[in-house]
Amino acid sequence: MQRNWLIPSALLGLLLVFPPIANSTGLEFYTGLVNKIMIFALAASSLNLILGYGGMVSFGHAAFFGIGAYTSAILTREGVTSAWVIWPTAIVICALLALLIGAICLRTRGVYFIMITLAFAQMIYFVVVSFKQYGGEDGLRARRPEFGLFELDDTTLYYLTLAVLVGTLYAMARLVNSRFGRVLQAIRENETRAAAIGYPIYHYQLVAFVIAGAVAGLAGLLMAHYTQYASPNLLAWQQSGHLMMMVILGGVGQFWGGVLGATVLLVVEEILQDITIYWQLGVGLILLLIVLFAPKGIAGLFWRRPQ
Amino acid sequence: MSLLTLVHLTKQFGGLAAVNDCNLTIEAGEIHALIGPNGAGKTTLINQISGALRPTRGQILFDGHNITHLPQHQRVRLGLARTFQIINLFKSYTILENLELAVQARNGSSFRFWNPVRYEAHLREEAEQISELLGLTSRNHTVVAELSHGEQRQLEVGLALACKPKMLLLDEPMAGMGPEESEQMVELISNLRRSLSTASGNSAPKNPTLTILLVEHDMDAVFRLASRISVLVYGHVIASGLPEAIRANPDVHKAYLGDEGGRQR
Repeated sequence: MQRNWLIPSALLGLLLVFPPIANSTGLEFYTGLVNKIMIFALAASSLNLILGYGGMVSFGHAAFFGIGAYTSAILTREGVTSAWVIWPTAIVICALLALLIGAICLRTRGVYFIMITLAFAQMIYFVVVSFKQYGGEDGLRARRPEFGLFELDDTTLYYLTLAVLVGTLYAMARLVNSRFGRVLQAIRENETRAAAIGYPIYHYQLVAFVIAGAVAGLAGLLMAHYTQYASPNLLAWQQSGHLMMMVILGGVGQFWGGVLGATVLLVVEEILQDITIYWQLGVGLILLLIVLFAPKGIAGLFWRRPQ
Repeated sequence: MSLLTLVHLTKQFGGLAAVNDCNLTIEAGEIHALIGPNGAGKTTLINQISGALRPTRGQILFDGHNITHLPQHQRVRLGLARTFQIINLFKSYTILENLELAVQARNGSSFRFWNPVRYEAHLREEAEQISELLGLTSRNHTVVAELSHGEQRQLEVGLALACKPKMLLLDEPMAGMGPEESEQMVELISNLRRSLSTASGNSAPKNPTLTILLVEHDMDAVFRLASRISVLVYGHVIASGLPEAIRANPDVHKAYLGDEGGRQR
């Protein structure tokens, strides 16, 4: 246990001192990159909760990510400036949306579940794009909200994201080791047996789906603050695929899978984009190698059993 | 007093009636064996009683409740637990982890998100007791996939027992077993009720004897264990009664035990 938290603690320390160091050495760009990585780490971890721990292969996770961002953008557009209103509203909307989508999708299994989650996400994508007053396909500018306690500039946003990420990961660590987490993993392991010993499968999966949707919404919210813009791309199926790639790369059902996957994928993309316009080929190759030689992802190389 | 009653129970798969107008009464406290040739609908019947399948027609009454339309988890809560013909366990978990999950299911809500479940010592203690009852204590920390076939079968029964049922549905608990393992299973089943009623004597006094519905092909085991036997043929109960009566019943001989001189399988 202690050893497991040694590296993350060291990393946290590094992340805490990173902005002042980067800013004083003229590397502000990297503060932004790390911020973006942390946002995706949050989103990928939420997907990992249902995909990895719950065995629910949702191909529509971008819906919640994007709606989180759009809620923030639309509310500021409509004159709401307080983060204390925007944040809870966005999270609640994403949770309700996940409740609705999950309630329907979780009646299906396997490939059908993958397809129906994708279908819902696509529906939401086209609905949002059809709202011309909210930018349509051009997306919508999203001014940063006011917290009152502090000005939300690039540096405070960085620390805010870090705080949210750490808080959420801690809660997730508690969750996966709780009664609920144990049942969720048991359902992934053997659904019929879990039902036969008295667990209402559907309820457990739905609750997990809602939690994941809300956390993804939170990540989308931070994304809108980060880019000051809500793009339809955040809702697109490619985004769902992107998040899924992060989870697979990092380690499905491994606690640090989402964080590792987001970090490695975004850094690799960043590097390859500098080198070649065919960077996607490189990303594809790396993913292929991971799937073939490390089916439990990067995290699986470090930890043998999921914690 | 009857614990389980099936009334005109029918399950249709397309044009095929796997269970056809089945009437059956199981008394509290008995070991009731259900026998019948392959494809007679025995597992389909178990699936309907346990709630894994919905009947096309008919009713299932259990312990004073009409459970025909109840979801599976509520039937378990009422005291109806099952095992599977094809071994169906949490394969990458240890014996204790398997049992703890089943114990947890009936010990308070599992919609708890914060406290680590491994600190709940009472779950582990109960799991250890059940493992002891099964005679698997020395294997407590072995992962299911590494257990022998016989041990996995025992854990099948153990997981159902961990639900503290009033009634156990055992779907071919000896399937694929050698004679020695079968012998152990017969002993386990016949010892179960006694040891269980002493083990849970303080916590569940109103549930003294365990009723068992046993689906089994091993006729030796059936005639040694059963207090009553029913014979299912083409989804229909053609005979029901004491073992001697079933053994002597000419219809049963014709349909199941075989015309070739009553050869016992």
